[in-house]
Order: sequence, then structure tokens, then C-alpha cells
Amino acid sequence: MKRVVAVILSALMLLTLFGGCAQSAAPATSSADNAASSEVASSAAASYEKAKEPVTVTIWHECDATIAQTIQDELNKLAPDIVVKVERKEKMSEALKLVGNDPASAPDMYFFAHDKIGLFAEMGILAPITDFITKEDLSSMIPMTIPAGTYKENIYQLPLYFETLLFMYNKALMKEVPKTTDDLLAYMKANTKNGSYGYVEQHSTAYYTAGWMQGFGGFIINDKAEPGLNKQEMIDAVTYHQQFVKYMPADGEYNTVTTLFKEGKAHSIISGPWLVPDVKKAGIDLGIAPMPTINSTNKPITPFSGVQGVSVLKSAAQTKKDAITAILKQLLKPDIGIALAKAANCAPANTKCYDDASISANEMIVAMKKTADNVVPMPNVPAMDVMWSITENMLSAVNKNNADPKTECEKAQKEALSQIEAMK
Amino acid sequence: MKKKLLPYLYSFPALLVIGLIVLFPILYTGYISLTNMNIYHWFNYSFIGLDNYVKALFVMDSGFIPAVLRTLLWTVINMMLQVVLAFFIALALNAEGLRLKNLYKTLLMFPWAMPGYVSILLWRMGMFNTEFGMLNQWLRTMGFENINWLSGNVMAFTCCTVVNLWLALPFMIMMIDGALQSIDKAYYESATLEGAGFFTRTGKITVPLLRPIVAPAIIMSTFTTFKQFDIIYLLTQQQGAKTGADIHTIITYVYEKAFITNNFGYSSAVSIVIFAMIIVLSIFTRKDLKEEGR
Repeated sequence: MKRVVAVILSALMLLTLFGGCAQSAAPATSSADNAASSEVASSAAASYEKAKEPVTVTIWHECDATIAQTIQDELNKLAPDIVVKVERKEKMSEALKLVGNDPASAPDMYFFAHDKIGLFAEMGILAPITDFITKEDLSSMIPMTIPAGTYKENIYQLPLYFETLLFMYNKALMKEVPKTTDDLLAYMKANTKNGSYGYVEQHSTAYYTAGWMQGFGGFIINDKAEPGLNKQEMIDAVTYHQQFVKYMPADGEYNTVTTLFKEGKAHSIISGPWLVPDVKKAGIDLGIAPMPTINSTNKPITPFSGVQGVSVLKSAAQTKKDAITAILKQLLKPDIGIALAKAANCAPANTKCYDDASISANEMIVAMKKTADNVVPMPNVPAMDVMWSITENMLSAVNKNNADPKTECEKAQKEALSQIEAMK
Repeated sequence: MKKKLLPYLYSFPALLVIGLIVLFPILYTGYISLTNMNIYHWFNYSFIGLDNYVKALFVMDSGFIPAVLRTLLWTVINMMLQVVLAFFIALALNAEGLRLKNLYKTLLMFPWAMPGYVSILLWRMGMFNTEFGMLNQWLRTMGFENINWLSGNVMAFTCCTVVNLWLALPFMIMMIDGALQSIDKAYYESATLEGAGFFTRTGKITVPLLRPIVAPAIIMSTFTTFKQFDIIYLLTQQQGAKTGADIHTIITYVYEKAFITNNFGYSSAVSIVIFAMIIVLSIFTRKDLKEEGR
């Protein structure tokens, strides 16, 4: 008896072990679809009905639930012919690397920021959106949102909204907003005392400091995947920026600087729109101002922008072409941009949305729209993946350990070249 | 014949599981390390021989040797402190007449019950943060300037050691405490009768009798300490919150050099090289243990 039990248990263990390897017979259809298809099969005119069977399109995302729901609601308008399932996938970009070319496991489309486009395009899992819609269809988009999703001359993303950094200030503490960076420095010198700060930012985080670098005409990496860390503009930017860091909290990471601003201990901050709900909840009288102009270049601080949009996977491009075209056309209408702006304060990529009264009355969205002429989309070349860490090592050595900017920039450039080489 | 085969048959399911979850990943990593699997050849990778190993040895440039030495220093300092502190805490817990023993033991186990990731980030924000950390709040109350705890190399290394001790001591205390309780009290009684003091009893009875029981725990902890990643990475290297300290150990060093490149072939080659290093280390420690056992 014992033996029998042991054998059964062993068999069960082995079965569960291999259970995960099994492929789902109908991965892209839900139980509702299965039920629908069985009904169809039992009907008399089965073949005719089959032609009218709804097409299911799965869109992966990793964003806020409100945003996902808004996209889902918009695409529900295509039912019953096209059933769209907007599904949350944790660690989505990692998941796409693993299953991106497997039609059984991969989604048909995904919704994400533009900066991974180069990586996925290079892996060969994306289809250009111009296979479904024309370039003219995109003419109403804010100009910078199109190059953001373009890699090696192919457009891979239909932009829905964009994010960028804003100069936010506490109206109760800062009466006059500094117009130039020299004014800002003077303000910081006068107002940084007793645990209170004139201005704070994540001074050693590449995403935030890039605005200073780009304001000086420097760049972290260009679209040819050439790093620019040792360019004179970059050295000038890092050296100039170093003097601001003295008047900011030494540990300039996200939680520290945002808490200071929310607690009214920092008069101003450069941060993203995601901070606004928390700041308002904390009872801060929030103002949004244009970025200060850098005196030596006469250009404002020029931050990165992230463009959020949908991309199509190659595996779905052939089998579901009509459905995907219909989805992209639906998302080309201003409706989705207006809905996202109303639901989650997103700045629409489609300029037509700004004709809507509710959008033009939204102070934050209008401020973001204004900065859109003055932003650089995050590089989407795959080599950018290694640049974040290298740039931050450089910045933290200069800002937190008082290292010499020129030496660190040279060191970082060398490191960048060797890391980019190591990717190949 | 049947008798000889039967044990293998019985252990086959277990061996199969071990093979699948331990051996297979190692062999597969070895296989990938011989290919050019990277983002430019993601699905159409091909066999490229030992090229990745050449590259891996090349990456072990000027930064690699200091990282190796730092890892060894990190392991030695942490293990010494861990064993000595845990030994004395366990001795104190076993002192005659100590009240509320179980309460102390529960409290001492607390760091172990919390997920490491959470503890480390709590230490970073709650203790070491320059603005809100408890250490700087104390300093400010006493009229001193803020200290940036995690930016200097020596200071950051010390802070990481403190956090590692906080996380690792419970395990060592528990092992030593258990071992202490297994020592027959009669030895101490007769030693006391013979006139032996605390130090003689500890040196001649406690330590020799503890050794065989505690040795495996020390070896296990040595490996955990050697390949420690979370503490050093989360306290000093986390992207978006780097502190400027360069206290890379081998694992954090190769993570930053290889794993972020998305080059699986190359990262696998680096992993296999580290794997080989750990195997060599384990052979040495096993040898030591055997000699000690004699």
C-alpha cells in the first residue's frame, strides 16, 4: 500500500513539475470567447458565423489602473467586432524579451514609454505602425512625440500622452520665481538654512540632471548610440551644476526631495506630474513656472520627456491586421487624449485635444504642453540602458564626493564606450 | 543486481528534481555563455566559442581586483564580528538566573523575520538619510553638522557592515544558542569543582564543544556574506539613489559591468567565472573543515 501511495505521489510531483511547461491551447481567448465559439459551432450556419467571430486583441501595460481603464473604455467602443483586453503585466519589458516572438504567449500590442522601442525593434519583435496607418494620420501629433517612437527611420509607436519634468514651486514660500539659473542660485543661497531649502532636485539622478546637460547643449547619448559624456558642453554643465548641489540635501534621492517639498521645507522643485496629486493632498499651494534659463547659453533647462503610447508586435501584425488598424484609428481620435487628461491629468500627444475647454483650463497640462517645445525625448537606442548607471556614477562622484568633473566625465565616457561594446 | 539498482530508482524523482532546478540552469548558463545571445541576436543567436570568456576576463580590469580584495575583506570582517558577537550574546542569553529569556530571544530574532529588502531600505531612509535619518537627527540635536553616512568609502563600508550584522546575527545567535544548550552541564560542574574560572571553562569546554555544531553554520554564512548583493547595492548603488561610494563587491561589480548590458552570452560567461571562484573557495573551506575534524 505504502509503495502505491509513494508511486502516486511521485507521479503527481512530476506532473506538477512539468505542468508549467504546457502550452495553453487557446492562449488569446477568454472563457467568454470559448463559450461564444462553442455556440457558434453548434449553430447551423457555422462557417458563415465563424467569419463574423469577434477578433480578440490583447494589449499589455504596466501603468496606473486609471489610465489602463480609460484605454479599455475607449477601445470597448470597437465591440462587438473587436474585443480588446487591456491586461496588466508586471515587469512587462522583461516578459516581452522572453516571449516577444512567440505568438502563443505574446500580446498583440503593448502600451509603454517610448524608450524601449529601440530595444524591441532591434530584437525584431515590433511591426512599424505605418503598416496600419499612414504618416499623414499622425500629422496632428505634437512634433517631438513622433521621433520619440521612431527607430532607424521606422515609426513603432502611436503616442497617446507624454510626461516631462516641471518647475514647481510653493506659492506661499516663493513670491517671485527665478527667471534664470543665476537668479535661482542666488535665491538658494539666500533661502537655504535651518533644514529649509530654496530649491531641491534629484541632483545625482541622470533623468533629472539631463535637463541641465541638454540646456548646455550636451547629451548623454545621441541617436547614433554615441555617448557624449566627455564633450565640453557636458563638462561645463556638470561643473556649473555642482555649485547648486551645495545648497541641496546631500542625499538627493526621490523620497528625500519630494518629502521636503511636500512638507513645505523646500520652496521649489523640478519633478514630474506624478508628484502633483500628493503635493495638493499635502495642502501645498502649488505653482508651475517655466524652466529657468541658463545664463551662459540663454537656453532653458531642457528636460527629458517620456512618450507613452501603443506599439504592435510583429506576430500579430499579419493575423490581426484589420483589427489592429481599427484600434490604431480609434486611438488617433482626440477622444482618448481628452479622456486620459480628464481621468489622470495626462498631457495628450494629439494637438486636437487641446481645443477641448476642459484641457485648456487645466494649468498643469497647459504647462506641460508649453514645455513640449523645449524637451528632448529620452533616447530610445538600446545602448541607453547602460548609460543611466554610468551617468549616475559620474554625477554622484562629482556631487556627493566632490570629485573633479572633467576627470569623472572622461572616466564615464571610457566606461560608456566599453559597456556599449560589451552589449554586442 | 536488483538490490544495487533499487536505491537509484527510489531516489530517481529527487535526483530528477535536483537535476532540473540545480544542474540544468548551470549547464544552460554554460551553454549560453558560448553563444552570442544579446539584443542584436536575440532569437537567432549562434555558437561563438570562448569569445565571451575572453571579453569577461577583459572586463575584469582595474576595478575587478579591488572588488575581489574588498569582497574578501568584507567576508572576513563580517564573519569575525558575527561569530564573536553572536557567541557573547548567546552566552549572555544562557546566563544562570536570567529573566525573560524568551522575550529577548524573540526580540533578537526580529530582524530575521523581516524581509531583507525592507530592512535595508528602512535602514537607508530611517537611519542613514541625511535629512530624516535618526543618526543625523541626533547629531543635529546635539548641535553637530549633518554627516553623509553613505558617500565616503570607509563610512559606507562600515554602515553596510552594521546592516549586515543586524540581518545576519539572529541566525548565528540561534545556532550558537542551540549548540550551547546541547553541552552537558556536568562538564562545567566538574570544571568549577576543579577550580576553573569563566575564561578557562569557555576556552576549554564551550568553544571546543561548540565547534563541530557551529562550523556548518559559519560556512553557510560565509558564502552568504561573500555573495552579498542586496545590502551593498540597495544602500549605495541603487539606480536613482547612488551615494557616490565605490564599495563594489564582486557581485555588484559584475552586475554593473555585465548584467545591465542585456548581453546574455557575456553575462553567462561572467557568471560561470564567479561560479568557478566560489567552487574553489568551497574546496578550500571544506579542506579546512576536514583537517579540523581530525
